[in-house]
Amino acid sequence: MTTRRPNPFLAPRSALSRRQLLVRAGALGAAGMSLPAILAACGSDSDGDSDSGASGSTPATSGSTAGGGSGGGGSLFFENWPAYIDPTEDDLIGTVDRFMEATGIDMRYTEAYNDNVEYFAKIQPLLGRGEPIDPDIIAPTSWLANRLITLDWLEKLPIDQVANAANLRVDLQNPSWDPTGEYSLPWQTGFAGIAYNSDVTGREITSVDDLFDPEFAGKVGALTEMRDTIGVIAMSLGIDISSLTTFEEAQPAFDKLQEAKDSGQIRRFHGNDYFDDLSNGNLAITIGWSGDVAAIARDNPAVKFVFPESGATAWADTMVIPKGAQNTDAAAQWMNFVYDPVEAAQITTWVGYVSPVAGVRDEVEKLDPDLANDPLVFPDDATLANTQGFAPLTEAVEAEYDAAFSAITGA
Amino acid sequence: MTTVADDVDTARRGVKRPELLGLGALVGAGALLAAVGTRLLTGPIAILALSLVLASVLMLIVVAVAGTPETRRKLAPYGLLKPGMLWLALFYLAPLFTLLRLSLSTLPSRFAVEAEFDWNFDNYVTAFTDFGPQFQRAFMYAGLATILTIAIGYPLAYVIAFRGGKYRTLMLGLVVIPFFTSYLIRTIAWRSILSDNGVATGFIDAVGATWFFEAANIMDNGRLINTPAAVIFGLTYNFLPFMILPIYVSLEKVDVRLLDAAKDLYSTSTSAFRKVVLPLSLPGVFAGTLLTFIPAAGDFVNSLYLGSPNTTMIGNSIQDQFLVQNNVPLASAMSFVLMFIITVFVIIYSRFFGTEDLA
Amino acid sequence: MSVPTSRGGRVARFALNAYAGLALLYLFVPIIWIVVFSFNQPKGNYNVEWQEFTLDNWRDPFGDESLTNAFIESIKVAAISTVIATILGSLIAIALARYQFRGSGGLNFLLVLPLTTPEIVLGSSLATLFLDWDVTRGFTTVVIAHIMFQVSFVALTVRARVRGFDWTLEQAAQDLGASPLRTFWKVTFPLILPGILAAALLSFALSLDDFIITLFNAGSLVTFPLYINGSFRVKFPPEVNVLATAILIVSIALMLTGTLWGARGRRKSAA
Repeated sequence: MTTRRPNPFLAPRSALSRRQLLVRAGALGAAGMSLPAILAACGSDSDGDSDSGASGSTPATSGSTAGGGSGGGGSLFFENWPAYIDPTEDDLIGTVDRFMEATGIDMRYTEAYNDNVEYFAKIQPLLGRGEPIDPDIIAPTSWLANRLITLDWLEKLPIDQVANAANLRVDLQNPSWDPTGEYSLPWQTGFAGIAYNSDVTGREITSVDDLFDPEFAGKVGALTEMRDTIGVIAMSLGIDISSLTTFEEAQPAFDKLQEAKDSGQIRRFHGNDYFDDLSNGNLAITIGWSGDVAAIARDNPAVKFVFPESGATAWADTMVIPKGAQNTDAAAQWMNFVYDPVEAAQITTWVGYVSPVAGVRDEVEKLDPDLANDPLVFPDDATLANTQGFAPLTEAVEAEYDAAFSAITGA
Repeated sequence: MTTVADDVDTARRGVKRPELLGLGALVGAGALLAAVGTRLLTGPIAILALSLVLASVLMLIVVAVAGTPETRRKLAPYGLLKPGMLWLALFYLAPLFTLLRLSLSTLPSRFAVEAEFDWNFDNYVTAFTDFGPQFQRAFMYAGLATILTIAIGYPLAYVIAFRGGKYRTLMLGLVVIPFFTSYLIRTIAWRSILSDNGVATGFIDAVGATWFFEAANIMDNGRLINTPAAVIFGLTYNFLPFMILPIYVSLEKVDVRLLDAAKDLYSTSTSAFRKVVLPLSLPGVFAGTLLTFIPAAGDFVNSLYLGSPNTTMIGNSIQDQFLVQNNVPLASAMSFVLMFIITVFVIIYSRFFGTEDLA
Repeated sequence: MSVPTSRGGRVARFALNAYAGLALLYLFVPIIWIVVFSFNQPKGNYNVEWQEFTLDNWRDPFGDESLTNAFIESIKVAAISTVIATILGSLIAIALARYQFRGSGGLNFLLVLPLTTPEIVLGSSLATLFLDWDVTRGFTTVVIAHIMFQVSFVALTVRARVRGFDWTLEQAAQDLGASPLRTFWKVTFPLILPGILAAALLSFALSLDDFIITLFNAGSLVTFPLYINGSFRVKFPPEVNVLATAILIVSIALMLTGTLWGARGRRKSAA
């Protein structure tokens, strides 16, 4: 089972400055004033207490309390991963509420997308029979988006209505999972590399080989996300994962992983739930996701993330429109809204993953300078060059990969 | 002199052997409903079948109303059973048959939603050959867990039954109450309690017993969790009441005077127990074993939260095949293999116990 | 039963009692953990390490909206399925306990069968039935699934309780002129009601708690256990502990009420 979801830990750090800004931004939003003007007018404060983070807050109120919007109407249903958007809490107005105010669209936002595989199993009976599902936008990870495209279960995005799609990062245009770029727009992107607790390992880690160091036997973890685990290992063996077409090419990586699991080197395979294990030393070293670690690291500086020398995997969670969705126009407006660098910056400061929107860095700098300099959220070009996305696989080959991986994870 | 009543009586008496009628109607309706549910009968034949089911219900009512009190009495049980049994026929039997049919089918492509029935036995072959370790682990862990539940639960049930006195109901309540919290939450709680820096390991370290636990293979490298022991422990805990309650029920029925009689005949406590109480409690142990072993064998939650990749059980594999690999035919075949093996165990076990009373 | 007077006998007796006491304590270890941690203020998203005491979680247990919604859905499902299953199951129990009839052995077997089928098989087979029939999985399918395993459970539980029932009471009532229906309502039903209620309570708990069968048949419905499992990858908030403790308190209260009510009834009839 797979997930990589960000951690609202990032919220407290930038809470106050962002909060002041957003309070005024939100309050004036209804009056239609543009956010850059507000930001310029207010500047930023920074002092005092932080708020306690995300627990118990909701990303959106549904329609009724969002205040009068500017005409229009219509509705939208976006089903996304948990903790993947800035919520409305305390005095902050979340992106969804700001969107509803700005466009008058009644938006329903749920966080029921917990796992790519589980979600696919949910939608398969409907989309497989040509019936529509409820949400207008869902957020599959790139490989699942690729599968949905191949199965022809998606509508093409109304790109001509999304002017801000031009803000898409250059390296994400016409990606391997969606070569024509007509079916998906990334929501957030990130990396999988090595996460470790330096107190437990006793030294700095730079290489994937350290995962297999007998010194850490029984304290090593790996992700249940096949492409990240196998990807990282394969790259350390010199395999180019962006050009994989057969199972045999990646076999050495599977063999290495199998050996590690049989010998008890690997303690367990996990999704996002490795925070406490890594933090309290149950796990010394594991394959993990960049955004998660940035969050834990603040509470426990011994926990670090490193882009392996041999390279990290790059992934993206994408917004797609399932076939038969009703509100494609509203969906286009949403995508346009969140691809505005200013809005995207608000999302990034809360979510802590790498935004797909170019120009976000400058906006984030105004809100939270520390975050703007965080290499995990804004990696430099050299780092980016050393990452690879997993190649899209055909159905038959993907089945081989999945079966082999499940056999190792013990299922 | 015959009265009108007598004449009516004779007319009513026409229904002979009403119980056969009732049973027949019940079984027939159930079978038809199951067949419709399994899609064995489709289209107009299905509609016909459904109307027959309805007709059988109406017929029973008619016969009951128009028949003698004797007839009514004989038909009553079938009438009472009908709604519940029809429900089970449609939602238990029919699905099982559907699963059976699926296990012999092939999917045209991995993500297709309809499988084609073609007497494909490959799924069964794969189920046996590829998942041997998971089956073994499932039965081993479930078996050990069952033995542990007997070891922990029997004495408790005994104490409640024989020494509980007026606090019996209270104590039984205490046994059941923990199970009003969610299964998942309880397992997560154990995860925290048994964690590397949790109370359990802390306690073991404090009393210096680590070497013992390591030797007994309960701890692995200083950790309690992500080990087979943790999974077995979780299974034991979660199924304990299913063992305690049946044992208690059978112990409660033991007439205390029998024990007094044994004492009077100079028996010691232990042999009184062995010869009187133990045999009488066996039906309870039998029932408890079934209610523990069978669900434990198919469990995957404990392995998921408390185990490691080397402790996965067949339940994990079946779930994986259903949800991740989308290989519904294979998953169905695996489910049937699991059920088949369990049934074999149960038959052997009940022969050994010499009892067939399950409730 | 006579109390042993010998030293060895007393020690053995004490040891057994102590062992049983430990077993009982063992049952409560996670519960204590759950209750204690409902008062915890976790550092991050996972409420697994003790940080500090707080009453905040209890002041606002419904803070996590999706969790609360899932909880409410669970209660709705459990309420509806329990009512239907109790009716169906009690009818079966009465039939099996009161009457001798042909085929009772076979029907008894069919009744026990769902309880002896592994949950994963129950869940997945129902899912395939619904898929086969093109029925959208959601609230209704979950209710149907729950009723299915609850019926067996209720039937067997009520039957066990009803077994000791003195059916000659019915005969007496009818001799006194009551119709069968009246007899049932005024004589039989009140006496077997406690057994039915106990079975209903237990099957309500089973429904609230069900995970595996629900997982396969929920479609887009999110129940409490499903939510916990799904969100466990990112969080395990203290609100879960609060809600779990609340369920516990309510069930204890119900049980105490039931016991007291039963005790009062017995005192009344004894008086």
